Amino acid sequence: MEISYTGTVLVYKPGLITGSTAGTGASGGMITYELPSNCNRGLSYFLIPLCLLAPFAKAPMKVLFTGPGVITSSTPTGDMSVDSVRTAILPLYKQFGIFNNIELRILRRSNTGPTGRGGGGEVQLVFGHQVRLPKTLHLMNAGRIKRIRGVVYSVGVSGSNNARMIETARGILNPLSPDTYIFSDVASAPLVPAPDKTNPQAKKKIGLGFGLSLVAESSTGCLFSADVASPPSGGQAPEEVGKQCAFQLLETVAKGGCVAPAAATTMFTLMTMGSEDVGRLQVGRDVIADPNVVQLARDLSKFGAPGWGIRDAPDNGDGDVIVSIVGRGIGNVGRKVA
Amino acid sequence: MVVKRKRETTVDVFRRLFEAQFEPLDLPGHTAKPTNSDEEENEIGDDSDLSGSEGDWDGMSDISDESNQVEVVEHRDAYAAPEDRMDKKTWKAFMSGKLLSDLDKPSTEPEPTSKKEEEEDAHDSANLKHDLALQRLLKESHLLDSADDLAPTGKNRLKALDMRMQSLGAKTSLYAQNKMPTAHRRGIKAKAESKEERRRQEAKENGIILEKPNKVNKSSNNGRRERGVSGASVGKFSGGTLNLNKDDIARVQASGRRMMGGRGKGKPRGGRGGGGRGGRGGGRGDKR
Repeated sequence: MEISYTGTVLVYKPGLITGSTAGTGASGGMITYELPSNCNRGLSYFLIPLCLLAPFAKAPMKVLFTGPGVITSSTPTGDMSVDSVRTAILPLYKQFGIFNNIELRILRRSNTGPTGRGGGGEVQLVFGHQVRLPKTLHLMNAGRIKRIRGVVYSVGVSGSNNARMIETARGILNPLSPDTYIFSDVASAPLVPAPDKTNPQAKKKIGLGFGLSLVAESSTGCLFSADVASPPSGGQAPEEVGKQCAFQLLETVAKGGCVAPAAATTMFTLMTMGSEDVGRLQVGRDVIADPNVVQLARDLSKFGAPGWGIRDAPDNGDGDVIVSIVGRGIGNVGRKVA
Repeated sequence: MVVKRKRETTVDVFRRLFEAQFEPLDLPGHTAKPTNSDEEENEIGDDSDLSGSEGDWDGMSDISDESNQVEVVEHRDAYAAPEDRMDKKTWKAFMSGKLLSDLDKPSTEPEPTSKKEEEEDAHDSANLKHDLALQRLLKESHLLDSADDLAPTGKNRLKALDMRMQSLGAKTSLYAQNKMPTAHRRGIKAKAESKEERRRQEAKENGIILEKPNKVNKSSNNGRRERGVSGASVGKFSGGTLNLNKDDIARVQASGRRMMGGRGKGKPRGGRGGGGRGGRGGGRGDKR
């Protein structure tokens, strides 16, 4: 990769995605990636694209994210929490025939640091299922919501915040879906090194706060997620967070279709990478009108993917549309020989 | 209008009932103090006939301040029964790094047993404990000097422990000496052999049929023959030629997969060396 002198041109020569093999920076089969302390994006910002690349790698991909910039919670910059990635994004790969040996372990939790930058979390991604081509997807029946699961986390603050968030969120969701369970996780605040003049070994606590991640699963396996965390500046009651998150989940479900907005880009990308066959996916009108999705469509067509066909879903009052995507059939170059 | 009249009459009925029990009320306009909803209905009624003169309606001003506050209703469902929370196992299953697909499996929880059954179980286990104690006492009574001592101490305790271990399947006693001079060991072995010989002799004379004598297996005969480092893995190498017998040929010609499996299990290089060493060790042990 080259960046020009003025920083206006970037030359990137793509190669094989190797995965975590020895000789590519992996130690003990695990690539350790350290995020700098001025990082203000949640870890999901890195995880979701990495998970998109991982099925096309040559070897299993095992990455350990550490460092003073790993934020596992959702962030004010709009990134979802790592819990939601695990419960709402990674299960979607199953519909493309990618399901073996995928794990996302949260070794240490962290909310956003005091200025919205930095955290001290530790997350391990194991993506052990590499495929030649993702399966063609036909998902046109959103089904009905059958259960809601969630994770509520407190980092370095009292665990009673968890109970308060759960209480509020369940108060709203339980009448709508009786199978609602929210799991509570209380963690201590991570310590990151903060050397000063007098004490070079000094450490400080960072990333205190709490948050909630909710996932609704439909009878046909569609997942809708919502994420709210306490703002880095503080001053928000847990009840408020719980309520916001529950309402956000309801809003996501109300947008319709088979895909939540947060997962749409993942689904569309995997469909484009599939075999040369037409895959169909029903999505809500608001979901496909999202600027990110439109930008993705433009980027893909620039990279040579065929255009998307969009038509109204038949006998559907919600205004859903069916997106038909022809795969490119390129697949995993590292696995040309099956 | 009709609505209002009906309402007033009901209010009147209640007022009469109240006044019959307590003292009469003196309210302005001899109606009950209007609640919010009542006032609304009044308003509706007035809108229907604006021309009509209504004495008790004089604008919004007479609505008292405290009754006109906006009421905020927050709908919440009371849920939080503590037993409703998920158990630790489910928590662990969910919070582990795995994906959610395995949560579909129904949790196999044992049915809660009834109280009577539990009592019976407790009884049974108590009986079992007593049984065990009694059996141990019977078995080890020859060790005990004072027969009333159920928990032996000191040397007796160690002996009892050794016996229990042997009854549970220990190969040798804990106290069998395993390091001694060769002459010593040879003596022990010779003594044991002569003893056995005498026993068999006596049994033969008395016409008692004994068990067959234990075949003394020669050192490392039971395992695979040990080969040199550069030895052939198939057949027998002698005189500069590799001699294969029928078995060897059959084994080589068997399907490659099975052969690989057999080799992997039986004789990888390192394993073979280890086996050889183990065989020698076993040989030394046999001399004991």
